[in-house]
This record gives sequence, structure tokens and C-alpha cells, in this order.
Amino acid sequence: MNARAIRPAFYVGAGILLAGLPLAQPPAFFESFLYLVFFWIALATSWAILSGFSGYFSFGHGAFFGAGMYTLANLTTNLDLPFGWSLLASGVAAALLGLGVGAVVFRVRRLRGELFALLTLAVTFVLATIVLNTPLDGGPGVFMSASVLPRIYESPSGTIYLFGLGIAALSLATARIVQYTRLGRGLFAISDDEDVAEVLGVPTFGYKLAAVGLAGFLAGVAGGIHAVFVSYVTVAETFSITVPLFVVLMSVLGGARHWFGPAIGATLVTALTYAFVGGEWAVFGRGLIGVTLVAAVLFLPHGIMGLVASRRKRPPPPAIPAEPPAPSQAAHAPSHKPLLVCQDVRLSFQGVKALAGVSLDVRAGEILGLVGPNGSGKSTLINVISGYYRRQSGRILLEGQDLSRRPGHRIARIGVGRTYQIPRPFRRLNVLENVALYATFGAAGLERAAAERAALYWLGFVGLGDRAHALPLELNLHQRKFLELARALASGARLILLDEILAGLTPAEIDNAIALIRRIQAAGATIVFVEHNMRAVVALADRVVVLNHGEVIASGLPKDVMADPAVVAAYLGKSHA
Amino acid sequence: MPSATLLGQSVLSGVLVGGLYALMGVGLSLSWAFLRLINLAHLALVFLAAYLTYALAEGAHMSPFLAMLLLVPPFFVIGVALQWLFARFKVDEFGSVLATFGLMVIVESVIQGIWTADFRRLETPLSTASWRVGPIFVPVSESIMFIVAVALLVAIWAWLRFTYVGKAMRASAENPDIAAAFGVNHARLALLMAGVAASSACIAGGFIALIATLAPSQIYAWVGVIFATVIMGGLGNPLGILAAGLLIGVSEAVTMALTAPSWAPLVSFTLLILILILRPGRA
Amino acid sequence: MLEAVGLNAGYGDAPVLWDVNLTVREGELVAVVGPNGAGKTTLVNAVARLLPIRGGQLVFGGRDATRLTAQEMSALGVAIIPEGRRLFVHMTVEENLELGCYRREIRRARSQGLERVYAIFPILAERRRQIAGTMSGGQQQMIAIGRALMAQPKLLLVDEPSLGLAPLVVEQVFDVLRDIHGAGVSMLLIEQNVSKALEVAQRAYVLENGRIAAEGRPASLLALPALRAAYLGLDAEPV
Repeated sequence: MNARAIRPAFYVGAGILLAGLPLAQPPAFFESFLYLVFFWIALATSWAILSGFSGYFSFGHGAFFGAGMYTLANLTTNLDLPFGWSLLASGVAAALLGLGVGAVVFRVRRLRGELFALLTLAVTFVLATIVLNTPLDGGPGVFMSASVLPRIYESPSGTIYLFGLGIAALSLATARIVQYTRLGRGLFAISDDEDVAEVLGVPTFGYKLAAVGLAGFLAGVAGGIHAVFVSYVTVAETFSITVPLFVVLMSVLGGARHWFGPAIGATLVTALTYAFVGGEWAVFGRGLIGVTLVAAVLFLPHGIMGLVASRRKRPPPPAIPAEPPAPSQAAHAPSHKPLLVCQDVRLSFQGVKALAGVSLDVRAGEILGLVGPNGSGKSTLINVISGYYRRQSGRILLEGQDLSRRPGHRIARIGVGRTYQIPRPFRRLNVLENVALYATFGAAGLERAAAERAALYWLGFVGLGDRAHALPLELNLHQRKFLELARALASGARLILLDEILAGLTPAEIDNAIALIRRIQAAGATIVFVEHNMRAVVALADRVVVLNHGEVIASGLPKDVMADPAVVAAYLGKSHA
Repeated sequence: MPSATLLGQSVLSGVLVGGLYALMGVGLSLSWAFLRLINLAHLALVFLAAYLTYALAEGAHMSPFLAMLLLVPPFFVIGVALQWLFARFKVDEFGSVLATFGLMVIVESVIQGIWTADFRRLETPLSTASWRVGPIFVPVSESIMFIVAVALLVAIWAWLRFTYVGKAMRASAENPDIAAAFGVNHARLALLMAGVAASSACIAGGFIALIATLAPSQIYAWVGVIFATVIMGGLGNPLGILAAGLLIGVSEAVTMALTAPSWAPLVSFTLLILILILRPGRA
Repeated sequence: MLEAVGLNAGYGDAPVLWDVNLTVREGELVAVVGPNGAGKTTLVNAVARLLPIRGGQLVFGGRDATRLTAQEMSALGVAIIPEGRRLFVHMTVEENLELGCYRREIRRARSQGLERVYAIFPILAERRRQIAGTMSGGQQQMIAIGRALMAQPKLLLVDEPSLGLAPLVVEQVFDVLRDIHGAGVSMLLIEQNVSKALEVAQRAYVLENGRIAAEGRPASLLALPALRAAYLGLDAEPV
């Protein structure tokens, strides 16, 4: 049996053994200690699904946990609902809370990083105040009786232990599945560069909602179980700062970008606090947790799993597939059929016209050079076509489909790919993962294995096959520009927008890149490239469009356009026109 | 509907507590704006200063005001040392939240280790004294705190606004490269700013010892409302913080008078959430 | 006064300048022209010591400046009018100017300096309390020039002063730069607008793809095929 087959068997076996533990009638403190470990594993892991994976650090995990706790306490104690249904309701209530907050907050581009963290903390306090002042709690707290539990084991503590094990296992399984599927890939991309992720085809808003919903559900269920464990639910304890603090600490310590990292941190920290339980030692234990957190930030910024990953030896570069993965589009000579049509596209920033009514056609199979002086609107036009900015008026049609009202990820799926002037790779994903992400989420829409094959093929195509396992920061500028190119190619886009792909390259590298772009065209792609290097424009472009002050001032064959007096004036100043 | 006297008394206590919010928040705001550090440990420093003032006044029978002043220089040094550490390890804005969260817990456990988790209250002749203005009682120690807070905030504002150092600080926060090209040494100014922020924490702590009951867990109770004040006031803007502190303090006090005291946090946090979501540009 | 010998520089680990040799003599106005992305701004930032120099040597006023900080460079008398102006946009006009004379040695010349700048740009005197970020592009360029003047520079680095300005304002800006040069300040002028730059410069370099492609008097450069090639991609050998 190979390792792949042994692993699931190992997980299931370990689960059954742990589940059967109460039959051996271990001492009660042992059961409750293990329960606490499971409880924190569930909370920390659910936190990591949102915050560790997507980079949206939340200090509001106490809100989800508390929502679950109070839902269960009220449903079982006041409404006498059965435990199972109440537990499910706890999860759903917390998930709804998460979705509600997310639906508002994730629309605001500015609310990332520390502002998101603060906002979630504030939500926790608002929720706490509401619970405290309504019959949900009312002030004195809610007493729980262990009799609400179903009798699975003889002792209630054994039963609670089993539920703790269940939610921990469910959280770990969810985190593992998320990490290795599209959702996880997308969330990792969001955490490195959300804007690039959206434009390459990741439905960022939907994915963030999915993450917060899952995190909320798991934390809510964990809270529901914990309500029975503590047996007396109060606002002060439930919504205290300790829950978010511990959860963040455990995940950061263990490594929040791996499904198993938070579990390591949770186990260590729980064991640490348990060791110092009681009297003077409790104070010392809390201080030690503070020291651990400071030390983790200073010396171990990627956590234990991050350290493990960086120590692991890289596999040798994989073999490059000889054939392009998807049937390549029929190569055709430049035709007169327009692939992309821009009609009177306008966009202003605070009154400054960046695009003052741009109309142009891009014909299928051609290379169109887009040139113009600084500030003429070239990059803005690329950003509008790819959906990063939304045009204020005008239409953008790709083979008749209107792009101008669609979000960036829809435009990518329809078939537009782009590169960035300053390469913007996802810095914590390796080169292969970077490219595979485009094959997964772009127009190609490939499944995991196929996406990797496609990524390898295109990496080989641009000459980066042997760097597949390197991190982007290990590449030089030239290689990073080619990584940008490989990403755009792997996306399977019909229209590829190249934003100053040659800037900063040496003359020899420029020659190399020009040859590559010709090969891309020969493979059937249509290319729009923004470029300042005029020799390259003249050498490459089938047609050239010149922008100045957000307007098209000339278009046609390169030689003709460059001799146009208006163009010469725009570049060299009026007197040489 | 409560009586006019009760409302008036509420507004007054709101104004006074608003001054305290601003006094506690100003250091946080300064280090966020000028050092790009979100220093949660600032609140822990406030409480450390409060306990030390309590210890000097209660144990050594020192005047609490003298104690406060004596503590300022060591707190300045603590601020400088922390800034040096953060700069040395190149802690970014987000890392600073986590690291200072840790510091906060450390300070809390140190406080609890020395003074236990029991409530402490500094009894001085001032603590119960009040003036009577018409039907309204004006507590003396709170009023002194308020006056000091306003004076300190205005002084910091003027320092930032009118001195070369203050201008260089603002310029450097906006555009460190260009400021350096005109001779501004950001690293040195940052140490100074961190010292000033920690000193303000010391003053705030001294007054907390004077007017409030101390308990280690109180450190966390203030986090939310102080952040609300800081963000609402605009980063690095001492007068804005004063205005935000007053707004939050008064709206809380009036809410308490109209409903129950336990509803008060809802006002500040709802305001904070609305401002975060609706406010254009960077906070 | 300023000499770069075999200078290499770039952002992060991305090289932009290769082996650049360039001299500015005492009292000279030297222009560097070239297309976008050629490395002109990188050159200015390297000379101002805002970017690390990876190779070669930079000499200023007879001493090695390769390892100096931006702050030390400013103390030697180098001031910058950066690309895109880079004002302190949340501060007032006068505060921006005052930061020009932040260095202790020149602070006492504050009022003289302000008087001089306000004499050149009367509009700035009128608007001295206005927040810089709310001014028009042309006025912001005036502030940037004024700020650099306040530093009493021996060498002024001017990066793309005409960028984004209306033609009339460009004329005015160049007139002022010519006057400043006339008053004895050496100048390194980076400019995309070739004709304007070559009109005021005594000597010029053409920068293309991070290397010096040509050097000489303005008149001779304008006739040069290399210049037209660098800008328009014409009349040159295939790439």
C-alpha cells in the first residue's frame, strides 16, 4: 500500500480509537482536558479557514462562538428543543451572522487588514451588548443542565468529550478539503493579492462569504457544545477578549496557512495553560502566553507549519508535457473580424479625464500595439477592459458579449487575460501554483491535475520549467515578467493584454521576449500590448493605436503612425512636428 | 423621560469621561499615524501607570500628582525601548497588533502577579470632593483630569502644527523618502514620538488611579471604546480625538440616562462600525 | 561637481540602470532625455540616494557619495524636485516650503527663503494656508520647486517637471528653472519633453533601456538618428 492509501485509513483508525476512549473510563479530568484540546482545535481551525487562508484577520471569532453558545442555551433551556437540532441551529445562527457581516464588509475595498480586524471586534461587542440587554441573557446568565445531552456514554463528560472530538474532526476535515480545492486556492490568492485574484477569475466576494460562513458554522457548533461543558453561560465570559486572543495565538503559533497548523498551536497552548491551572500559576501561565505570542510574531512569523514547509526539500523540477493541454485554438492570420470592440469608453478620476471616449477594435489574431506618452490612459484602458476599474460610459464587447458591466472574475472567465507592468505574482505560492491558478480560474477552467499539466506546459514554453517549485521572489525581474506571461497564457484567454512586458529588460532579453510573443501569436492568441519601447512596437505590432490625453489620436500600420505629425508632436513636443 | 437635572448631570459626566477617552487614545493615535504601529500595549501601559501611581500614593503616601510626574520619564524610556525593538525586528502594522496584544497580556499578568486580581481604589480627599453648580454636582478630580487632558491634547496639537519637529513628523508619515531627501531623520523622530505616546499613557494612567477602581481585567474593557475614539477622531489628530471622545462620552452617558447603563457600549461600537464602513478614504 | 562612473541601480532586485557614466560640472544645466521606462527617474533617485547603488561610483563635490544616505546627501547641498511632485499633500503650502529648510544649518534663512519663493510665485503667497493636495497641478509643481529652493541647493535634481501640465504652465516652469540656473545653481534635468529640455540645457544625455545611448550639445543631439530612434522606433537597425 502506498502512502496515499494509508493516510485516510490512519485518520479513521485514530478517530475510532479516540471516540472509544470513554469506554475505558479514564479519570474525568483527563476527559475534560482532551475535550478542551478538541474545543480549541475546532475554534482555531475554523478561524484559520477564514483568516489564515484568506488573510482577513478576524478578532470577531468570539461573536460566532457566542452566537452558537447562546443559541443552544436558549433553544434547549427555554424552548426544550432536542439537542441535535439545537446544535445545528447554533451553527446556522453563527454562519448567518458571519454571512450578514461579510455581505456588508466584503463590499468595501478599503476594509482589509487591521481595519477588518477592528470591525469584527466591534461587532463582537455590539452582539454582547444586545445579548446582555435582551431576554437571550438578560443579565444573570443562563444555566445549562447536562440533561439536555443525549445519552451516548454513561457519563455526561464522556458524551461531551465525544461531541468535542466530533467538531474538531469536522473542522479539520473541512479545513483540509478547503485547502486542497478551488476554494482554498482562491482564498490563498486573495490573501496575497486580492485585486489580481479577482481579475484572473477568482470570484473573491463569493469565496470570502463562503469562508466566513464555514468559519461561523464551525465556531457556532463548537460554541453550542461548549455551552453544555461550562453549564453556566454569561456574557462577560462568552464575549471576553480571551476567545479571539487565544484563537489568533494558536493559529499564528501553529501556522495559519495550513489546515493542520492551528491544531498544533491549539494543543500546545491548551497544554500550557492546563499545566499552570490554579492559584498563582494561572497568572504566570497567562504571562507566558503573552511572551509566546510576542516571540511568535518576532521569530516565527509563519508558525510551526510554515517552518516545517520551509525546511522540506523541494522535489526535482517536473517533466514538461510536450503537447499543449487543451486543443489549441486554430491558428489564423490576422483577420478583419473584430474580437474586441471598445465604443466611446469614458472614465474620470475626481474630475480628471483618464479616458475621454476611446473607441477601437482589436481584430482576431492580430498584435495591436497601444502607445502614447505618460498619462495618456493606456494602463487605465487595460484596467477597464480587464474589469479592475469600471468605465463610466461606453461599451466594451468581446465577440459581441458586453464586458463593461461584469465583475473582473466574469471577464476573465469569458476570455481576457492580462499581465502587470510591475509583476504581481502571488508571493507565497510557488511558480507552478501561480500559473496553475490561472488555468483553474481563467477561461480554461481546468481541474486540478489538468491545470498543473497546463501550467507546466506554459512554464516550459516561456523557459521557466526548471523553476516550477521556486517562489516568485527567487526569480529575477526578467523571469518574473515571463512568469506573468505564462500565467496569462495558461488562463486560456482569447485576448491577452500585455502591460509593458519589456520595460526594465536588457536588449538581449527584449529580443528573447519578442520572439516569444510572436510564437504566442502563432499559437492563435490575440494580443494587445502597451509598450514604450518603440523599436519593439515597430518590430512586433500588426497595427498601432496611439493614445494621448485619453483619446485615440492615430491608428494604423506602425510605420505610418510613427510618421504622423500629431504623434511626433505628442512625443517630441510641438516644435518638431 | 428623566429630569433636566439628571440629563444635565449625564451630559457633564459624559464630557468628563470623553476627556478621559481622548487622553487614553491620543498615544495610540499618534503611534498609529506616525509609526504605523497599532499599539494595543498602550492601554496596558496606561494601567501599569495607574497601578504604579496607586502604589506610590497609597504605599509611599506621595501626592498622586507628584507620583504621576515622577513616572513620566521612565515611561518615556519604555516607549522609546519598545519602538527600538519594533523597528529592529521590522514589525509591520499587522504584526504589531499581535505582538502588542501579547505585551498587553504580559503586562496584565505582571499587574495581577503584584497587585492580585482584587479591586483597588485610591482613597484621597479629592476622590469624593465635588463642587456644586446649581443643581449639578461637578466632581473635582474628574475636572482636574479633564483640564489636564485638554491642555495636553492642545499642546500635542500645537507641537505637531507649529514646530519643525512636528512638521517633519507629519511629512515623514506621509512620504518618508522625500522627507529624508530634505534632511528628516525618521528613525530618530519615531523614537521621540514613541516616548511622547508612552508619556501620555502615563498621565492617563495616573488619572485613572485617581478617579476609577482598578482591576487587571479592566485593561480589556477599554479596548473597544478607545479604538472607536481613535478611529473616529482621525489618526494623528489630537483635536479630532478630543471631539470624538466628547461625542462618544456624551452619547454614552445620555444613552445610560435614557435606558440602562448596560446599553452604553452599543452606542460607541455602532458608531465605530458605521464610520469604518461609510467613511471614504483611509482611516 | 557630480560624477557617476559605471553606475548600476534598480528597484528591489530588478536592475534598471547599467553602467551609466554622467557628469554635471559646476554651474552647468545638464538634461537627460529618453523614452518612458528608460531609467531616468531611477537615475535621479539613485543620485539623491533614495535607491541603493549596486555598482559603480557616485562622486559629489569631490567626495565619494556612493554609500551616503539621502539625509547626508541633502546636507551636502543636493535637493530634488521629484517626479509627480510628491508634495506632503495633507500639509499647507507654507509647511511644505518650510520642510525645504528643515536642516538645522539653514533654518534661520527661513523668512528670506519664503520671501524669495513668494516673489517667484506670488500665487503661493496668496494660498500659503491652503492644503497642498487641493491645489492645481501647476501650482503643486510650483510648491515642489519652491520647496527645493528653500533647501539652498548647490545641485538641483529636476525630474519630469512638465509631466501632466498644460503647455502654458510648462513654459512658466521652464522659465523659472532657467532663472534658478542663471542664479548659479547646477542642475540635472530629466525630461520626457525633448524639445523643451534641449532648449534650456547646455549638454544632454540620451538614456535608452537603462544605458547612455548618446551624449552631446542639444543641437547635435536633435539631429541624431539615435534620438529619433529611441523615441519613435524609426530609422534604426532591427531590434
